[in-house]
Amino acid sequence: MRKIKIWILYLVLSIIALIVAFPFIWLVITSLKTYPDIYHFPIIYWPSEVTWEHYGYVIRLDFLRYFLNSLVIGIGTAVLTIVIAALPSYAFGRLSFRGKRPLLLSILVCQMFPQVTFVIPFFVIFRRLGLINTHLGMMISYLPFTTPIGIWILRNFFQGIPGELEEAAMIDGCTPIQAFVRIIFPLAIPGIAAVAIYAFIFAWGELMFALSYLPSQEMQTIPAFLTLFVGQYQTRWGPLFAGSVIASLPPLIAFIFFQRQFISGLTGGAIKQ
Amino acid sequence: MWPLSESNVASYFKSLIQKPAFLFIIPYFLVLLLLIAYPLYTNFYQSFQTESGLSLENYKNLFKNPLFFKILGNTGIWVAASVGLQFVIGLGLALLLNQPLKGRAIFRGIILVLPWATPDIVAAVAWKWMYNDMYGVFNDILVRLGLINTYLPWLGQPNLAKLAVIIANVWKGFPISAMLYLAALQTVPKDLYEAGSIDGVSTWQKFRFITLPLISPFILTTVMLTVMWTINYFPLIFTMTGGGPANATDTLVTFAYRKAFRFMDFSGSAALSTFTFLVILVFAVVYTRYLLREEEK
Repeated sequence: MRKIKIWILYLVLSIIALIVAFPFIWLVITSLKTYPDIYHFPIIYWPSEVTWEHYGYVIRLDFLRYFLNSLVIGIGTAVLTIVIAALPSYAFGRLSFRGKRPLLLSILVCQMFPQVTFVIPFFVIFRRLGLINTHLGMMISYLPFTTPIGIWILRNFFQGIPGELEEAAMIDGCTPIQAFVRIIFPLAIPGIAAVAIYAFIFAWGELMFALSYLPSQEMQTIPAFLTLFVGQYQTRWGPLFAGSVIASLPPLIAFIFFQRQFISGLTGGAIKQ
Repeated sequence: MWPLSESNVASYFKSLIQKPAFLFIIPYFLVLLLLIAYPLYTNFYQSFQTESGLSLENYKNLFKNPLFFKILGNTGIWVAASVGLQFVIGLGLALLLNQPLKGRAIFRGIILVLPWATPDIVAAVAWKWMYNDMYGVFNDILVRLGLINTYLPWLGQPNLAKLAVIIANVWKGFPISAMLYLAALQTVPKDLYEAGSIDGVSTWQKFRFITLPLISPFILTTVMLTVMWTINYFPLIFTMTGGGPANATDTLVTFAYRKAFRFMDFSGSAALSTFTFLVILVFAVVYTRYLLREEEK
């Protein structure tokens, strides 16, 4: 009886997994189809011949440039987020001070603000400062969204490090600073990595600001580049999907390793993992 | 700081650490003031700007426009349906994936991580193609299953388009709800279920009288978070339908965006996005106050 139950559970979960994975599987399959197969009526599920032509086409369209643009903006956003978040998160996690509670509250509130409320102000500010069409401008525009979550993730990390570790180090003759550098900081490296990757992925997939602040094509990121294939009347599905598959790889890899930290950051630790 | 040796880093931190903790917070203050408060203030200011100076004109125009109420209604449907479905599917899958089972990690990886990790734009174009009326796999499968007789123009007809973007959004968004419910289920002490089993309580009764009451605070916070995320969620609708057909899938954020960058009505857009901001702010404040109260318990 119990065996049967387990097999039913496996069956149900497998069907659900197939349904959930299907849009992505279909994306990959379509990216490997020839145009006659893509526009075949009625549709065919398995390509009659596998082709890499769409991947070749996208790469010939200077995909590397957009890839590099996304990489630069992603890494820049990650570095700036870490630099800004490191000290406040240490204070929020391990020190006590007046006004800590309202400030913590402000972090949680800020990360929920709609992006669309910032889209015009940043446009106006960037135009005034000459930051339109620059990668630096993009990085700055992402900071209101990455730093609050970054501070929160890192705060949880600092909080999770037992205070006895510092005390033990001091008994062994370390100064408080040495204790921080030798004991606390190395222990927080996984947290720093999680924040860096969160910020990177945020910038990597962001669409609204990338469409608004990068008017010239050679500065654009992958998401903005991909929208070029989505025409009002006709969409070039082959190269669009080849580019989409490539664009999905970095976040997929990152999420496999860091999902827990991302969740705790996004929910403000609503649920302790 | 350079070269980066331990003593350099240490002396840098020493200079900071000897001052009050407030110094540590300065970077956050700068972001808060320059990158959050100032842009929000500019947006607020812009929303009152008209050719004849500052006035309530933009807001009056907004509330006079029947389109605004249509879009408000759209947003309501989009949020209620998306959040409702994500709650049911998320909780159901969390219960399934909480069962002790070999290979559970693989199922969790596929079901809970894949849609969540897929970039927004990629999810949007994948669904847009699946909904294609002629070559889309969605119609083909539904016809094969006998659920529909003829191919439907999923993104071409207003009500179908509403449904289509909601389905795509549920696919993209349910994993995070499921993960939160999964985490919540793990906080329920196992001995409660064992005690229930001894007393001969049915599975449904265990869920109804043990699980549900214990995870209800988590359900509340998760639903509030998903409400806010769904109101704010832009790329899916923007890429799949652009708000069409005939504004049927326009929500507050897609409409505010197009108002600014398609119709170049910055002040009108600022009024609309300020309105959206206030809606979110109410939710965010209620949510965070609740959260901090729970934390103190």
